[in-house]
Amino acid sequence: MSDGMLRMTVNGRKVAKSAAGRYRLIDFLREELFLTGTKEGCGAGECGTCSVFVDGKLVKSCLMPASKAEGAVIETVEGLASGNDLTPVQRAFHKTGASQCGYCIPGMVMAATSTLRENPDADIEEIKERMGGNICRCTGYTKILEAVELARDILNGKAAPLALEPEPIGESFIGTNVRRIDAPSKVTGKLRYAGDMVFPNMLHMQVLRSPHAHARIVSIDTSAAEALEGVESIITAADVPGTDGFGVFVHDQPIMARDKVRYVGEGIAAVSAESEEIARKALSLIKVEYELLPAVFDAEEAMKEGAVVLHDYAPTNIVKHIPVRKGDIEKGFAEADLVFENTYTTQQVEHAYLEPEAGIGYVDHDGVVTVISPSQNITHHRHMLAGILDLPINKVRCIMSPVGGGFGGKEDMIYQGMLALAAMKTGRPVRLVYTREESITTTAKRHPSRVTLKMGIKNDGTITAVQFKMISDGGAYGMSTEGVMRKAAILSVGPYEYENLQVDTIGVYTNNTPSGAFRTFGGMQAQFATESHLDILAEKLGLDPFEIRRKNMMKAGSLTHTRQRLDTAAIGEVLDVAESFSRWEKGAPTSRGATRGDLGGPDTRQPCTLGARFRKPADNNKKQEVA
Amino acid sequence: MARWKKGRGVAASWYGIARTATIDRAGAWVELDDGGTAKVVTGVTEIGEGILTVLAQVAAEELGVRPEDVTIGDNDTARSPEAAHAGATRQTYMIGNSVALASRDARSKLDAFLANHWGVSESSIKAFNGFIWSEGTNNRITMEEAVDLCKKNGVVPVGSASFTAFGTGLDPVDGSGAPWQTYVFGCQVAEVEVDTLTGEVQVLGMWAVHDVGRVINPRGVEGQIEGGIVQGLGQALMENYELHNGHTTTPSFSKYILPTALDVPQINCRLVQDIDPKSPLGAKGIGEPALVPTAPAIMNAIYDAIGVRISSLPATPEAILEALQRKAEGEVRLAS
Repeated sequence: MSDGMLRMTVNGRKVAKSAAGRYRLIDFLREELFLTGTKEGCGAGECGTCSVFVDGKLVKSCLMPASKAEGAVIETVEGLASGNDLTPVQRAFHKTGASQCGYCIPGMVMAATSTLRENPDADIEEIKERMGGNICRCTGYTKILEAVELARDILNGKAAPLALEPEPIGESFIGTNVRRIDAPSKVTGKLRYAGDMVFPNMLHMQVLRSPHAHARIVSIDTSAAEALEGVESIITAADVPGTDGFGVFVHDQPIMARDKVRYVGEGIAAVSAESEEIARKALSLIKVEYELLPAVFDAEEAMKEGAVVLHDYAPTNIVKHIPVRKGDIEKGFAEADLVFENTYTTQQVEHAYLEPEAGIGYVDHDGVVTVISPSQNITHHRHMLAGILDLPINKVRCIMSPVGGGFGGKEDMIYQGMLALAAMKTGRPVRLVYTREESITTTAKRHPSRVTLKMGIKNDGTITAVQFKMISDGGAYGMSTEGVMRKAAILSVGPYEYENLQVDTIGVYTNNTPSGAFRTFGGMQAQFATESHLDILAEKLGLDPFEIRRKNMMKAGSLTHTRQRLDTAAIGEVLDVAESFSRWEKGAPTSRGATRGDLGGPDTRQPCTLGARFRKPADNNKKQEVA
Repeated sequence: MARWKKGRGVAASWYGIARTATIDRAGAWVELDDGGTAKVVTGVTEIGEGILTVLAQVAAEELGVRPEDVTIGDNDTARSPEAAHAGATRQTYMIGNSVALASRDARSKLDAFLANHWGVSESSIKAFNGFIWSEGTNNRITMEEAVDLCKKNGVVPVGSASFTAFGTGLDPVDGSGAPWQTYVFGCQVAEVEVDTLTGEVQVLGMWAVHDVGRVINPRGVEGQIEGGIVQGLGQALMENYELHNGHTTTPSFSKYILPTALDVPQINCRLVQDIDPKSPLGAKGIGEPALVPTAPAIMNAIYDAIGVRISSLPATPEAILEALQRKAEGEVRLAS
C-alpha cells in the first residue's frame, strides 16, 4: 500500500489525515490521532487490548489495515462518554474495582460495551464467551465480570442507578471499599503508559538480538546501517562509558552483549532512527561475526564437572546455593514410622503483563540523564545506571511510568541502559517499545524448579525429619536468582514446625532465557512440592489433609526453619476458617471424589462447554413480554 | 466409568512481608494543602495492585481529609523520597506505614497550632472526612479553614517519615536468621472437574482464606487474591514457556496459553486479620501470597477426582491423559 489520505469518522468527528500505507488501524489511531486508549498488547489479534468499533462492530484494530477503514465510522474508548463523564459500563468497572494495572481495561470496556449492545440481557455464560477474546493478567476476571453484570442490570433497568454510587462513609476509611482513585483514568483510556508517550524530536529504537545461545562475538560492523538515511546512531557495548554490568545481586549482565552472547535474544546493538521502520531496516544491515560455542541447556548438566562455563567468575555455574539446617535429620528419619521421597518439577512461566516493555530516555536541560519506564525498581536502576554511565547519581533520574502489569518482570533492569546511552549519544529523546514476541523471548521468566523432597513421619502424623533439595535453572544471567533461591529456602517446607530439617536451594547458570523475579520469588515452586507431598503422606497414613497440616503447623512461639521465633502465627485460624468456609467433608485424600458429598455447591460455577448453544424458546417469549 | 469426574484438594502456605533477610525502608512526605486537600509524595507507584488508593485511604484517615482530596506525587528519583521498589509484597506494609507516619507528623503541626489557637489540649483534637474539631468543646471547622488559619499564622503543616522493617541476613552455613519481621498464612481449597476423555481440567470453585493483617480495602484484597489464583491456575494447568536448544517455541499468545474469562472458577474469599503488632497500621500484605497455594490445591483436587498424582507442572490435557493411561496399565498389571 502506498501512502495516502485517509478519511473516516472517529468518535463523531470527521478526520482526514495522510497516512503511511503500512499503517494498521491501531497505528492510525495512535500515531496520527493520538488516541492512545487503544493499546497494543500483542499485535496479532490474540489479546483484545486494541478493540474498537468499526461501523458498530467490535474489531481488533491491530489486524485491520488502516486503508480498509476508509470512510468508516470508528468509535474508540475515548469516544464512549463525553468530557469527564463515564458510561454505565465504565462506572460499573469503577465501582467493582475491575481495573488493576489498567492496560487491558480499555479493550475490556469495549468488549463489555459490545456485549451489552448486542444482547442487553446477556447472561453470565454469554458474557464470559463474548469477553473470552480479551486477556487480563491482573484481575482474575472476577471483578470485570461482576462489572459487566452490574452494568447490564443498570442498563436494562433491573438494578437502580444507585448501585453505581460509592459506598456510604462510615467512621473510618480503613477497611472500607473506597473506589480506586486511578480507575477513571483507566476505564476511559486517558492514562498514558510509557509506550503512549510522545516527545518532540523523538527517535525510535530497535534492538539487534542474538540468534545464538552461546557464541563469541568476533566483530560487529555497523557501517552500512549507519549510512542509512534516517539513522541517527547505533550503540553497542563499546559505547558504555562506565562499569558495564547490572543485576540485583551480582552485576554480571552488560547492557548489551559484551564479547559474548549467552542466550538467544540477548541484545547486541541498538539503532536509534527517525522511525521504527528505518530502525528495523538498519538492523538488517548490521553484520555480526560469531564464533559458535558449545552451550548447556539443563541445570543439572551445567553443574557437572567439565560442563560449559558461562561466566568466568562462576566456574561451577552455580549462581547461589542457600543451605538451611535445623536439628539432626538422621535422628529424625530414624524416629519415623514411614519415610517417603518424591520429585516435583515446575516449568518456566512468562509474566505476560499486557503492557510490553517500553521506555523513553532523554537528557534534560541540566544534563540529567532521564529514563521514563514502567520500572518496578527506580531506586536500584538509578544506582546501577550511574555506575554504567559513569555519572554522579544525581545526574541520573528514573521516572516510573504507570506499570501495565509487572509481577516482578519489570524489576530487573533490562533495556533502560540502552535508552540512557542512546539519549546521551544523540542528545535527543529516544523511545523503545517491545513487540510481544520480543517481550516473551528476551525477558526473564519464573524460575523452573526440580525439588527432591523426603519426609519422615510417625503414624500419628508428626513429621520427624525433612530433606529438601531444589535445583533451579537461572538461565544466562544472575538477575534475581540469588534472592529467589534464598526465599525458596526460607519458605521451602511450608508453615510447619519441624525439629529436624535440611534444605538446599541451588540456582544455576545455563544458556536458557534468564529466570528472574516473578510473584512469589521461589515461594510457589517450593511450596508446590511441600503441599503435594503432605497429601501423599496423609493418604498413606489415612489422615485428613487438614489434620496432617494442623498436626505440624506453626504456632505462636514456634521456631521457623531458619530458627526465628514467631510472636504470632495465624495458620491455625486460617485452616479452621478454610475447612468450614469450603464445607469440607472430612476424610483421607484417597481419591474419593466419586463419593464425596461436598461437591457442586452454590459457591461453584457450572462447567463450561464451548460450541453451539441452544436456548429454550420460553426465554425469548419472556423477553418479548417484558418488552 | 463416568467421563467427567470431580474432586477437591487443599493446600496451605506462608509468606514473608517486605524485603527478605535485610533491613527494608521507605520514605514519604506529606503536606496538608490549601482547600483542605493533601499532597503525599513517595518514591514508588501503582503496579496495578491498588496502592495509590490504599495510600489515599491511609493519608485521609490520618489527616482527617477525604480520600478524593489526596493527591499523590510519586515515582521519580529526582522529585520524591526513596521508597525502594514495587515488589516483595511490601507496598502496603512499607509505604503505607511510611505515609501513615508522615501524615501524623503533618497533622501534629496543625494540631499544635489549633490547640494553642483554641486553648485546648492537643489530644482533644480529632479530624475526619474534611472536618477538624476539639472534643468536648464547640470548636469545629472545616479542614480548609484550619489549613488557611494555620498558614496565616506562618505555619505550613508538612510532615515526613521513614518506616523500617527489620530483617536479618541468613547465616551462610546453617541458614539461621530472622528474614522478616512479619509473616502471613493462607489456605486454599480447589474443586475441579476432569474430563477423562480429553484430559481437560476445569476449576469450578476456589475457597481462599488468607491472613492479611488489618484490611485497608477489602475489595482490593479480593482483587489480589482473584488475580493470584488465576495466575496460579494458569501455571497449574496450561502455561509453559518452552525452549528447544535455547530457542523458544512459545513466542506468542497463540502458543503461550493464558487463562481467559472462560477458565475462571468461582472464587470465594475470606480474610483473617491477624493484626501486625510491629507497625502503626497493623496491615501486612497479599500480593504474592495469593498464588502460592493455588497450584498444589488444584493438583491435590485432580488426585481426588481421578487418582493420578501430577507432580510435574503444568497438568495439561496431554499430561492428564498420559497419567490416566499409566494408571490404567498399572491397574491391568495388578489385576492380571
